[in-house]
Formats: sequence, C-alpha cells, structure tokens
Amino acid sequence: MMLQVLISPNFAVAQEEVASALRRYKDREVSTGYYEEYEVLPGRQRSPNLVPSLRRGVLPLSRTAARVRIRTRLADSHQGIKFYSVLRCEYCHVEQTKDIHTVRANLTCRQCHGREPISGIQFAFSPMNPIRRHSYVCAKCHEGASVSFATYVVHEPAAGSLTAKNDFPILYYSYWFIFLLLAGTLAFFIPHTFLVGVRELIRKVKKPKKDGERHDIGDGDQEVKPADIIRGDEPDDRRQDEQDAKQEDIERSDARDERRDDERDDDDPRDDKRTD
Amino acid sequence: MNDVMTNAMTMTQEMTNARIKRFSPVDRLYHLFLMLTFLIQSATGFSRLFFTTFWGKQLGNVFGGYDTSLTIHKWVGVFMMIGFVIHTIHLLTRVQWRNFPQSVFGPDSLVPNFNDARHLWQRLRWFFGLGSPPKFDRWTYWEKFDYWAVYWGLPLLAVTGLMLMYPLLTSHLLPGWSLNIALLLHRAEAVLATSYIFIIHFFIGHLRPTSFPMNEAMFAGSIPLEEALEERPDWVARLSQEGPLELVNSKPPALWYRVVYFVFGYAALACGVYLLINGIIHSGAVRLH
Repeated sequence: MMLQVLISPNFAVAQEEVASALRRYKDREVSTGYYEEYEVLPGRQRSPNLVPSLRRGVLPLSRTAARVRIRTRLADSHQGIKFYSVLRCEYCHVEQTKDIHTVRANLTCRQCHGREPISGIQFAFSPMNPIRRHSYVCAKCHEGASVSFATYVVHEPAAGSLTAKNDFPILYYSYWFIFLLLAGTLAFFIPHTFLVGVRELIRKVKKPKKDGERHDIGDGDQEVKPADIIRGDEPDDRRQDEQDAKQEDIERSDARDERRDDERDDDDPRDDKRTD
Repeated sequence: MNDVMTNAMTMTQEMTNARIKRFSPVDRLYHLFLMLTFLIQSATGFSRLFFTTFWGKQLGNVFGGYDTSLTIHKWVGVFMMIGFVIHTIHLLTRVQWRNFPQSVFGPDSLVPNFNDARHLWQRLRWFFGLGSPPKFDRWTYWEKFDYWAVYWGLPLLAVTGLMLMYPLLTSHLLPGWSLNIALLLHRAEAVLATSYIFIIHFFIGHLRPTSFPMNEAMFAGSIPLEEALEERPDWVARLSQEGPLELVNSKPPALWYRVVYFVFGYAALACGVYLLINGIIHSGAVRLH
C-alpha cells in the first residue's frame, strides 16, 4: 500500500477528474468568499472554441463514442491512444498547425499546451482552462492579457465552413459577407470593364465621319445640341491676332466641309442608303 | 439642320484648347495622398500577408523586415485615418446646406441617384450594340462606385486595423474573439481594395481606349471640351445653361508638369501591377482568414 502511494502520481494534479469545473468553482467561491480576486471568472465571455459536443453532426455520438472522442475534461486528454509516444501532434491535429501563432510566430504546440500529460482544455487544473488561460498561457507573450483577450480563438475553424457556422457563427457570417462582396464586385466589374474596353476600341477604330454624324447605332451621341456649345455671344478676351487666325481657320474649314459634302453626295453609297 | 450640326462640330474641333475644370487642386491633393499611402499600405501589407513565401520575405526586406514593415504599415495607416477625417470635414463644408437636398442629390454630387441606375442599364445595352451610350453628367456611375468603395473601405480597414494595433485595449471593450473577426475583415477588405484598384481602376485610368495611355484629368485638373462632349454631354449642356463656358475654362497643363505626372503615374501603375501579379502567383499560399 505504501508502494502504491509512492508510485502513483500526484492525486490532485493528474488523476482527479471533475465532472463540472463550474461546480467546483462555485463551491470554492462560496466557501471562501474571495475566490474571484485570485482567479477571474470567465462569466459570459466564453471563447467560441471548438469543444466537441455530443450534438456535433447529424447524429449525436453514442455513449461509447463520446467516451472515446470527447476528452476535453480529461487530465490526460490523450490517454489510451495506441503508440502515443511515437506520434507527433501534427499527425492528428493537421488543421491546428495552420494558424497565425504556428505559421507566423513559429510557436510549437508545447509552448502553449505544455508537457505531457496534456490535459483537456476544460480540465479543472489545466493551464488552458478558460478561467486561467489568460494568465498561464496568453500572458507568457501578451503581457496584460485578460480573460476577454483569451477568448481569441487561436485554432480558428475554416471561416466559411459548417464547423464555423456551428461554433463561431459571427466568423462564418462575416466571412461570407466579405467574400460575396469581394467576389461580387470583381465578378461584375471585371467583365464590365473588359466590355468597356472592347466597345471603345470598336468605336475608336471605326472613326465617325467628319461631318460629325455617327453612322452606326450606338456610336455616340447623335443629338449634340449646337446651342450648348456655341459661345459666340460671349466677350472674347484673346489677343487680336489670335482672333483673326481663328476666324480664318473657321472660314477655311467651312469651305473644306462644303467641298467634302459635294464629294460625298457623288460617291458615298452608304450615305445614300442611310438617307433613304 | 445638317449645316448647323456641321458648324457645331467644326467649332468643337477648332476649340481644341478649350478645357473644362474637373478637379480642384485640393481634390487632386487628396488623390495624390491616397495614391502614395495606398501603395505603401499594399506593399507593406502584402509583404506580411505573403510572408510565408520567398517573394513575400523579399518584399518585406525592402521595408526592413517583417516587424519594421508592420511599423510602417501602422504609421501610414494612421496618416490615412487623419486624411480621411480631414476629407470628411472638408466634404461637410462643401455641402450647400441652404439648398440641402438638391446639393447632395444633384448632378454635381457624388451621391448615387436614380440616373446612375438608368445609365448603367443603357451602358449594358450599349456593350452589345442594343442602344446608344448614356449621356453622362459630371460623374459616371463607376466613378461614384470608385469613390464610395474607398470611402467605406477606409473606415473598415481603419477600425479593424486599430483593433489589431491595440489588441489588449480592444479586449477590454469587446470580447477577445472580435480580433478573429477584425483580422478576417482587414485582410479580405484589403484584398478587395487592392484587386479593385490594381485591376479595374488601373484599366479605366490607363488602358481603356479613351484613356490610353493615361487619363490625365486627376493630375491636370481639367479635361478638353471635346472629351467632355464625347462622354459627358449632359454635363457640358448643364454648364452652358448655367453660364458662359468661358468661366470654367482652365489652362492646359505645362509640358514639364505633364512629364512629371506621366512618370509618376506610370511608376505607381508599375508598383500596383507588380504587386497584383505576384499576389496572384502566390495566392495559393494565403487564406482570407
């Protein structure tokens, strides 16, 4: 019996399983009256973290399956896994290696989750337990981290997935809002802009006739109102020689246009067709 | 009637140096400021977004590494927020409060109105040769979209950016998981803004046949009367009804100034296209969230 006491691990830390962390917490609070000063109540600020629940999926897990699959309250969440000592974390936790803390900050799993045995995140004495995660885990790097800060979801689900819809609905809806906005804007404006380019290229290649008429449907404004742009009645503040030059130009181009009109009447079949 | 029309067109052809003022110097300053800050933000932001790729690391090295590029990103972001606030105050002073609804929903305002929907419909028909192109007034619907896209995107990026800059303070005011949302929105909105600017805005400004090689309106401040008559006849008509066109004539830009803004504009274009192409190449390495 002495031997058994000697070789068994610390009772309080490793072996005790608590059915409800909340009950234990309340007991302590009631008995001492000042528990809150030492450990901060998570209150309503619960992290939408991915705790597997019995209601996950279409069918709830069976009692046996739940015992195998749900390990969030165990002191050693990996207990009973075959050949555990030769496995690596990322063999099973593939998705958990892709977040910012792992990829950007180059953190290893153990820097947050600690040594073996890795307890479930809701195990009463786990450093990852939401009641002390902020001080035991987050504050190692983020000095001054609060309970609220610790509700940041490090291993966030794929934002557009149904998992996210279940566990982190705000993330899911934000994702689809911004994604549809992004995709919709580009899906509308890229073809729109491309068509503008094509259409304007066509217009540029097929230049309008010199008489200012557009001969194809859709080739620009056919109803330019001369009254809108003639500016003869306004005072002309240009120098005298400029005005003269301008006047000559207008006269010359008038003559040129008349000449061209005559020519076109003779040899432009397209124009004839149009007047018909 | 043909004679009158001929005369009118001759007049317009002769008035090649007649120009209409389109942007005030202050407007152009805002655009210049936005160009510079936006490019810095996209480059530093991309260097961090694509940090896991070799290209992203190299881009980060230009700005002094992963951490320094974040410092630059934050500071330039703060400048952008200040610019946004100044711009908003300036906007409020520009509204003619005495005839309030007309000044905001009128044709000189960038606020979208029913005509924009009509123009869009007409233009979609015109794409397929089903009708004549719409006669735009001062601002076309895509210009309004450009403006408002930036105007709502900037506060979104600013708020989410501030949240990420001060995560501890944020977690006092909001639950900590709001940082997950902030990061997602900041990233996705930045991708939206950069792809919109580097694809669509650049195409409209430089590559579309009426603008090629560069739409100078935003730098010169004025556009030739011909160009306005071609695309925005309703604007010219309105201006000439309001008063003599002479009043809005402005000088063509000097040659040295044109050289400067062509070089500058093309440098900005090159930066944007470089980021866009490399971003597309390495897009497999990033996720929106």
